[in-house]
Amino acid sequence: MRKTTKWIGLTGLVLFSAMLIFAIFGPMMIPYDAYKASGPPFQSPNLEHLLGTNDMGQDLLAELAVGARTSLFIGIASAILAVFIGGLIGVLAGYIGGRFETVVLRIIDIVLTLPFLPLMIVVAVYMGAGIFTLVFVITLVMWAGKARQIRAQTLSIKHTGPVLAAKTMGASHFYIFYKHIIPGVVPIFIPQFVTGVNAAILMESSLSFLGMGDPLTKSWGSILFYANSRSAFLTEAWMWWIIPPGVCIVIVVLAFSLMGYYLEERFNPRLGDYSVREKRKKQLVKTKEHHSSKGVLLSVESLTVAYPKSGDYRSVVDDISFAVKNGEVLGIVGESGSGKSTIATAIIQQLKRPAKESGEIYFEGNLVQHFDDEGLRQMRGKEIGYIAQAAMNALNPVIRIDKQLQEAIRAHYQLSAKVMDERVVEVLQKVGLDEKWRFAYPHELSGGMKQRVIIAMALINKPKLVIADEPTTGLDAIVQVEIVQLLRKLQKELGISMIYISHDLPSVLSVTDRLMIMKEGRKVDEGPSVELSKLSTNPYTRVLIDSIPTLYPKKETVEVSR
Amino acid sequence: MSADLLRINSLKKSFYRSPSLQTKVLSDVSFSMKEGEIVGLIGASGAGKSTIGRIISGLETADSGEILFVGNELTKMKAKVRRQLAKDIQMVFQDPYEALSSRMKIHEIVAEPLHILQIEKGNLEQRTQLVKEALRSVNLEPDYYMNRYPHELSGGERQRVGLARAFVCKPKLILADEPTSMLDTSLRLDLIRLMKKMNEQEGTSYLFITHDIALTRDFCDRLIVLKNGEIVETGETLDVIMNPVHPYTKTLIEALFILENHGG
Repeated sequence: MRKTTKWIGLTGLVLFSAMLIFAIFGPMMIPYDAYKASGPPFQSPNLEHLLGTNDMGQDLLAELAVGARTSLFIGIASAILAVFIGGLIGVLAGYIGGRFETVVLRIIDIVLTLPFLPLMIVVAVYMGAGIFTLVFVITLVMWAGKARQIRAQTLSIKHTGPVLAAKTMGASHFYIFYKHIIPGVVPIFIPQFVTGVNAAILMESSLSFLGMGDPLTKSWGSILFYANSRSAFLTEAWMWWIIPPGVCIVIVVLAFSLMGYYLEERFNPRLGDYSVREKRKKQLVKTKEHHSSKGVLLSVESLTVAYPKSGDYRSVVDDISFAVKNGEVLGIVGESGSGKSTIATAIIQQLKRPAKESGEIYFEGNLVQHFDDEGLRQMRGKEIGYIAQAAMNALNPVIRIDKQLQEAIRAHYQLSAKVMDERVVEVLQKVGLDEKWRFAYPHELSGGMKQRVIIAMALINKPKLVIADEPTTGLDAIVQVEIVQLLRKLQKELGISMIYISHDLPSVLSVTDRLMIMKEGRKVDEGPSVELSKLSTNPYTRVLIDSIPTLYPKKETVEVSR
Repeated sequence: MSADLLRINSLKKSFYRSPSLQTKVLSDVSFSMKEGEIVGLIGASGAGKSTIGRIISGLETADSGEILFVGNELTKMKAKVRRQLAKDIQMVFQDPYEALSSRMKIHEIVAEPLHILQIEKGNLEQRTQLVKEALRSVNLEPDYYMNRYPHELSGGERQRVGLARAFVCKPKLILADEPTSMLDTSLRLDLIRLMKKMNEQEGTSYLFITHDIALTRDFCDRLIVLKNGEIVETGETLDVIMNPVHPYTKTLIEALFILENHGG
């Protein structure tokens, strides 16, 4: 977690503690009874009455301290009740499901639309104004939102692996409930409670201010109510009559907001990773002219990428160098976690923060690390097509295929609708999809067809280099073959260079000219694909190749076909 | 003739996306397994093979049909009685990253079936012994792994923990739903070998659900090929691989052949 987050949480805690101490000890320390006149009315602050007195000569500081007890009590009590009731109903609705859930959800919808002011008026008529009426009404308004959020959490836990596994082990509902559901849901009760206190204190204040609280009990809201109705604004009195309770409300709400912020990040650690990326400065790009003469399209020179781990930086890519020539297909093979995908994201300069990158990457002889944002944007999608891992599941479900493909063109070119449509048809034909599919939505396509669309998207701007990251993962064997053959065909037809990343050696061998084998971020072996697979003596390469399950028993002797 | 361990008679299942939109997942599937047999259930995604596993394990209910496990009709059983049968039918899941609770230590995870089924209740020492034995059977050194959390383990190690959890109560049948598909190629055969070892030592049967025929060659006794919720071909593993009859099976095998020969 970031340091500032901790400080924010701590500040919230200090503010809240201060207010709590004031509420508990304040009335004991202050020598005046808040409910009795203790001096002349409308006194401005003086040594005897630090905040002055009100219209009835009651000490305002004493009122404030007693009011703190009421306001905090109402806030915390309603939040506890709302979270408890909402939590119980939410968990049950999520877990039981079916008709019960539907009924509960409809009730929640209705409760969420209840306007709390009229509700308070109606309820107060029946129950009489008072602290408990306030707690009742605030809880009544608040539980529904909590129930809905906690139900969502329950639903997501209900379908996770551990719960399914426990079911197949013959677990009873009771067991699943206390062992898997409750431990998963309770952590979100705490931030829910904190935001609940916040809302409840604000609601109490506004209800009391409007005179709908208990007129005989002092609370911050009721102090404001009396101040307003007894013309505090007409004199100077508002400065010590209105401002202090206002400040108190702000402090408590702020304290709980800050604590809520801290807890939110604590229980959702991913939030801490979001930060605004710095703009890349325009600078002179370092070039290596001799690359183009040698036909080198991409050259990666001692690339190292490290991520922080337990106080230190751990390299996920360690001193990797390689080059891709024009028209060449390089395969990068390794197990998950060997750093293959990190190389791909480094090339298009899209490493996840807080990565530390060193080494140089030249594309067409230009150092990509020196590119500014616009330069990178031009390179991505136009010069380098990127087929990201599992990208076929990332197609926008509500936008037609042709629109999504046109979007890829429009990022780089301004063309008329007609020309764009022609481009879309052309590229779809290239990837073996009938042109009618351009009017389809992603859910109408099979996995293999979606992957073809992704390939079309990568090719649509005629890039010089295509990076394909695990393009066959998640597809059936038959479709895998089709995709591999398609990629090979397109690469030959268009003469593009390609980096093909996969852990699936058979498919890699069939597409690539050269292979680079990686393990734990390091390069362990490199060479022409066919020779490497048959002749390499590197023990790790052998393990990878020999562990490929085969349909037909392997032949004892291996000939090198050339 | 040895008795059938599992017999499935005309299993049917449809999903309803809306009352009018019905997708048939299984239409009239019947097959049987003998004790100690390893059966491979093969098909492309959407063929309904996972659904069969989920129905047998009780995660889904069939629309109609019978499931006889050692002569007991599972579908007509009361939930309470059905749960007791979990001792004999365990499941291994596809995703090793998802299937283990991140809040539980490895020994708690492996002991969970014992806990749920109240095996050796109160006898903590005996339970620990069973857990250690299960971990050893999947080549995980108990002393090193017992007190770790899943996130400290690699994908292959996690899947072996999942396998140990299935082994721990010595079930008669393990439903393995694509247990290797999320693993790196080099780890797939390892897992298969561990499963095969338990079959040889304890006579555990497997219903091995996969789309990877190559993996079944040395592992499965018999193959069942599923397409669009129907069985299109069954037979001894090598027979099916060497002489596929149904065109669909032929395509499946051809696809692998092309890959193996690096695109031909």
